[in-house]
Amino acid sequence: MRITLITELSQPTRYVPQLTMVVIQLALTWWLWRALYAGVRVSAGLNVTQATTYALLGVLYLQFKSVDRWSNGDSMVQLMFEGTIAYWFTRPVSPRRWYLIRMCGDLAYGGAWALAAYGACWAAGVVAGPPSRAAGGAALLTLALGLVITYYLQLIVDLMCFWSTVNDSAVVAVQFASSLLSGAFAPLWFFPGWFQRADAFLPFESTLNTPLSLYVGRLPVSALGAQLAVQVAWCVGLALFTWWLWRRAAARVTVLGG
Amino acid sequence: MSAGTIVAEGLTKVFHTVARRPGLGGALKDLVRPERVPKVAVDQVSIRVDQGELLALLGPNGAGKSTTIKMLCGILTPTSGRVEVNGVVPHADRIANARQIGAVFGQRSQLWRDLTGRQSLEVLRDMYGLRDADYRERIREFNRILELEEFWDQRARQLSLGQRVRCDLAAALLHDPPVVFLDEPTIGMDVVVKEQVREFLRDQVRRRGRTVLLTTHDMTEVAKLAERVALIDHGALAYDGKTAGLRDLAGVTWEANVTVETVPALVDIPGLRLTRAEGTRLTFAPVPGAEAGDLTPRHAVRRLIEHLPVTDIRVEEPDLEDVVRQAFRAGR
Repeated sequence: MRITLITELSQPTRYVPQLTMVVIQLALTWWLWRALYAGVRVSAGLNVTQATTYALLGVLYLQFKSVDRWSNGDSMVQLMFEGTIAYWFTRPVSPRRWYLIRMCGDLAYGGAWALAAYGACWAAGVVAGPPSRAAGGAALLTLALGLVITYYLQLIVDLMCFWSTVNDSAVVAVQFASSLLSGAFAPLWFFPGWFQRADAFLPFESTLNTPLSLYVGRLPVSALGAQLAVQVAWCVGLALFTWWLWRRAAARVTVLGG
Repeated sequence: MSAGTIVAEGLTKVFHTVARRPGLGGALKDLVRPERVPKVAVDQVSIRVDQGELLALLGPNGAGKSTTIKMLCGILTPTSGRVEVNGVVPHADRIANARQIGAVFGQRSQLWRDLTGRQSLEVLRDMYGLRDADYRERIREFNRILELEEFWDQRARQLSLGQRVRCDLAAALLHDPPVVFLDEPTIGMDVVVKEQVREFLRDQVRRRGRTVLLTTHDMTEVAKLAERVALIDHGALAYDGKTAGLRDLAGVTWEANVTVETVPALVDIPGLRLTRAEGTRLTFAPVPGAEAGDLTPRHAVRRLIEHLPVTDIRVEEPDLEDVVRQAFRAGR
């Protein structure tokens, strides 16, 4: 958290453009959904307030779910490429734990910005609150598990660097798939049925669509149990897979050159 | 095994690379059935470094020095062989190993680019769980020689190479490890900073009794710091012994350069052989085997004066760089 905060705040050029983009994207998204609902009361089971809230919260998730580590040379692919990953194996904190600590720092930092942005949106009246406290609680709980799933998905992409440092296209592909299939680009309720059915077999939907659907009331709180079961299953499956992946990665780490 | 001991027996590391075949057909074949080619980077290296000893690991680029040091650090897993550092198998228990080793890879920094040197050291302090008093005491000790306070409030990305490596040295020794691995720590530095780093290392070995394994291409560094060297070439250990003993392996020794009034028809000096003659300037070297006996440079000078009309005489010791170069040639 300390490293993330210091490195970010020490360079206004890193966060000022991003904040500007967030404000512009929030405004455009709000206008877009208001325009789409002109003359329409309910579409795909969502009214204008629900759809706009879902879309705006999706923007906040998209913008603040990760911190840019590339510009300070601390992304996994850079660490592998430059060989400084070697130090991850000479410290009394295991690489697995260090990665988790880094991500928690990123999450705390991004979460703080997202919370502030959410507060501003709520105060401006562009984002509605949840229909009930139970819905809010269910959304929070599923968001927490969704972030765990997001963490594991990001970890898999980063661990690919141990096999190939040329993973740029994989990173772009996963980021796009993650944003599209989670509902960050647009509420998944508007996508065709076959798309939603296929998406249900992937972990992305659980990361964002589930908490947002509970938050806006598109999913009833009574569906919480089933959604939690799906999320927990993904968490356990991904945890086991990444545990195995870390073991393989740590055994084959290669730092070539002097 | 005493504290600060490094033991490696039959250490071997084989990397596998994919051989790229030429042309479009080759690229397709590589895609379907890649041809994996084994490359032996380190081959049966056995080495022991005792507590308070500084061993210089020498070798040309690509010889296997860095791979060896990374196996000893626990970063790389050896393909075969045994390695222990203070009784811990480094790659099997990296956390326990991390607490007793410090490492500097000269071309790679462990500082965080956007943090100041001091902030990076504080993060490492927290990572190692050091008490504040111990941390302050060590920083004071390091600062005495490395003069860290001159630059440690600058971000790592703004530090010069010398400043950055001095910070890296402090970072590596912050938790007071008995064993230190230094992989080309002074590469690219100017002579002033090099000397500062050498003084620091001397101090850490002699006063603190740390065990140091150092790889370097700088022969001055070796001459000034190491009493023992190990030579690695093509992944195999070519020599392990006293720095002075390298001469025997290299087959190079001192030379006596003599200027004479007139060159005699027959030059026959017991225990010496004429290696070069340019006019009245003659160069002699001891006959192989003679050096080990009584023929010291002092004796040789006496004999030359007795047998030749000498007007000038100078005995030159070969520098370590020549010795190492010759040793590699002799080993191949």
